[in-house]
Amino acid sequence: MPPKEESSKVTRRSTRSSASVTVENSEPTESHTPTIDDLTFGEESITIDAVLSNFPGRRSQIFDFIRLMGPLDCPTLPIMIYGGASTGKTSVVLQVLRHLNRPFVYSSCRTCYNPRILFESILNQLLLHRKCSLNGYSSAKRCDKPSDFVNLLREALSSVIKTLESTSGTSRSDKPDEKPMGKMVYLILDNVDLIRDWDKGTIILQFLFSLYTVLKMPQLGIILISGLPPDVYYSNMGYTDPIPLYFPEYSEEDLRQIFLRNQPNRKLYSAFLDVVLKPFCRVTRRVEELSTTFSLLFRKFCEPLDDLGISPNEDMKRRLYSHLKPLIAHCLNEIFRVSSHPHDGETRGERRQKASYSSENREELEILDFHMSTSAKFLLLSAFLASRNPATLDASMFDSTGGMDNRKRKRKASEKSMEKKEIAEQEAVMKGPGSFPLERLLAIFQCIASVGDSSFGEEDEEEENTTGYDKENNNLMSDILLQVSSLCDANFLIKSGSCPLEGSIRYRSMVSEDLAQKVAKSLSFPLSKYLYRR
Amino acid sequence: MGKETPAEKSLNLIRGRLCDPSYVFRPLSASSDSNYSKLKFIVSTSITEGCNNSMLLLGPRGSGKAAVLDLVVGDLLEQFPDSVSVIRLNGLLHSDDNCAFKEIARQLCMEHHLLFSKMASFDDNSQFIIAMLRACGLAHKTIIFVLDEFDMFAQGKQRLLYSLLDAMQSVTSQAVVVGISSRLDADQLLEKRVRSRFSHRKFLFLPPSREELDGLFVHLLSLPADSGFPSGYVSRFNDKIKNLTSDTRFKDILKTLFNANTTVNSFLKFIFCAVSLMNLESGLLSLENFKAALSSMQRQPKLEAVRDCSVLELYLLVCMRRLEVKEQSSYNFISVMKEYKAIHDSFHTSDYYAQNVCLRAFEHLRERQVICYAENRGQSQTGEYRLQKLLISASELHQGMRSHACCPAILLKLLDH
Repeated sequence: MPPKEESSKVTRRSTRSSASVTVENSEPTESHTPTIDDLTFGEESITIDAVLSNFPGRRSQIFDFIRLMGPLDCPTLPIMIYGGASTGKTSVVLQVLRHLNRPFVYSSCRTCYNPRILFESILNQLLLHRKCSLNGYSSAKRCDKPSDFVNLLREALSSVIKTLESTSGTSRSDKPDEKPMGKMVYLILDNVDLIRDWDKGTIILQFLFSLYTVLKMPQLGIILISGLPPDVYYSNMGYTDPIPLYFPEYSEEDLRQIFLRNQPNRKLYSAFLDVVLKPFCRVTRRVEELSTTFSLLFRKFCEPLDDLGISPNEDMKRRLYSHLKPLIAHCLNEIFRVSSHPHDGETRGERRQKASYSSENREELEILDFHMSTSAKFLLLSAFLASRNPATLDASMFDSTGGMDNRKRKRKASEKSMEKKEIAEQEAVMKGPGSFPLERLLAIFQCIASVGDSSFGEEDEEEENTTGYDKENNNLMSDILLQVSSLCDANFLIKSGSCPLEGSIRYRSMVSEDLAQKVAKSLSFPLSKYLYRR
Repeated sequence: MGKETPAEKSLNLIRGRLCDPSYVFRPLSASSDSNYSKLKFIVSTSITEGCNNSMLLLGPRGSGKAAVLDLVVGDLLEQFPDSVSVIRLNGLLHSDDNCAFKEIARQLCMEHHLLFSKMASFDDNSQFIIAMLRACGLAHKTIIFVLDEFDMFAQGKQRLLYSLLDAMQSVTSQAVVVGISSRLDADQLLEKRVRSRFSHRKFLFLPPSREELDGLFVHLLSLPADSGFPSGYVSRFNDKIKNLTSDTRFKDILKTLFNANTTVNSFLKFIFCAVSLMNLESGLLSLENFKAALSSMQRQPKLEAVRDCSVLELYLLVCMRRLEVKEQSSYNFISVMKEYKAIHDSFHTSDYYAQNVCLRAFEHLRERQVICYAENRGQSQTGEYRLQKLLISASELHQGMRSHACCPAILLKLLDH
């Protein structure tokens, strides 16, 4: 939540006269020009034991990586580190380089989203150039082609290596215990798998894989970090692939150690993990997804306790488990949902019954958590109905009595028609929601809106536009078309292909049934009466 | 900061050798009928007799074409110090004609200490190049053009190739054009007019024989007797290498490696991995290093991906496989969910989760490239309705599930059934 003081800073609209006046209170001048030392990690170096304890479960990968890097000044072939998301690849690489205290250049292909930004970011770091107001936030050299990049990289690397060689000769008096920086520079490229989606991505990937052989500089070490295994990069051209290093997903034991780190009361938390870790690991083993759920559950777990510092004994554990157990099943189904209601400290103090918690969540599920205008809601419902119902049934559905007549005789269905129904259902499942022209959407909208209007008028007397639908039809039509385009922007409707015979644009509804039910409930509209169920 | 231990020093030395292609390929090129000697003979005769020539070096990736050419060029630069200059182009970088001409002009300027202007246009550059070729021809200086990734230059209109080869024929020039390509049919890609100006000399780089590779192994890993190593260490190290080469288990390891890939580069990668695993206390290589290096090189990424899946994701994979077995060749998320529900109803498994959880698990599978969209054009549907397909085969799925840490037994039964 932003602090209250920030609202007092009023931004002034810049007029032409004020823009021409130079701003006097500029930011303090950048006093720090980068030196060769900035190529290392910068913070205090850490021992290998600290690295190992920071990353439980990554012991063998850390040792493999250190061995592949080799001792000081050892030339290395390119390395590719791959593994799933949030398995610790980037952080292990950076921490190991911090431990080894070797100069490196780091660039992520996620933040540098096209080749020019990537090349310029690498060159800026090597040329020790920092973007600041003095140089207008521009890069040191302009470079968008691989050919220019190779030439500029060669020059930049030779100057860096010359500096490293001259500093390595002199002993450093101020930091005698630090490891020497050596004469090699390491280039780390993160999220290399995103390059596949770039324009001409395959050429850039090919170029990166062969960068080592093109440059022919043994003082450069290349480390590529990828979220995808190396076999997705195989293409027609072939390349000499880098040495792979695999980071598997964490096992349950590793996850337990990871979650136990930095906990104030380890015994209590490990009792908590005994009950939640196994069921949740069956759904996902990713750390970031589990941690959000666990933090929420742990708060609920500690509710009956008055003192959070105690270590529980057996029957206290049993009590806490029985308090938590009904919530686990519920949370398993909600594991990927991030609640839009912030859980702050107010709910924690109150004693909530289990029933009230689940009912609170059920209510949360059924109300709409964003605002839409009434006509937009009706449009959404009409689009949903138009996509779900076949067009031939419109006349019977939307007649004046409002709603399908469910009381017609149900003949016993023959086997052939049951089969036909199943096949039709299968096809409907495969194809998804159908498309409809704009006229059909508007026709359904007018039917529904009049029905809804009548039920509205009974409940709410002070609605301004109760009479609007009948009288001001012309104005309404342009509003409705605007609403259609804003629904398209919000991706509730999309334009699908147009029919070649008619030439008109067809739309398709993208809302799920849950959302449509929520919208209908907020309007008190009987959606199920209008929905055709085979 | 202290001194290096002998183990570290030897590690540095060996790794340095492995990363240096000229050291690696010199012994392989020692014999008289190797590509190295033939190439050197042709290029040196072109230089001494002052004639033009063009040739292609072809071979699979990693067989040392560029390395051998570098050896030849290095030797010729020593032999004829003032009469040879080298221009290097790479097909990946300079396939665009503008780029290529600019690069040639830049390299020519650097060689002859002229000022290079980045603003020069394409016509300026091409006129400059032709003028330089004529001037070098008159001064009896040969320019060697090395065109790496030659097949990339042969895409498009082949302007660069045509102008180079044409200039060689018409202008009084002495130039040698050497193309390097891993496509064995690179000369078929040339246009008619380019091909007519090209002398069809081709050097084929075949993978070396087993004896040559054994010899290379000993050559790379033997420590020299001098140069600051403690002498007892050197003899122990070299003896260990000799024992390894005669060990049958080591021969089996090499055979498994060469069944997959016989190029020199993959062999170098293998030795590199093994050497980096060297035990730094004893400073000697052992058989386990080589075994570990082999297993790290021969990975099975799809199996690893299946082993990384959670139990819910395995359920979804099994459902997709069952749909395939039932000959429903195209399916989307909704039909997979129906199968999932059917399995839960008939077997009463404990792992039944809501639709949004399964959708997210489905997304995880797609991110790992175990499944993917069956066609690209279905952009007008949400992810749930788009057709999917499995990217792993049934046997891989089977193997992955069997080696999974906590795969429920019912899933294996469902997969076989």
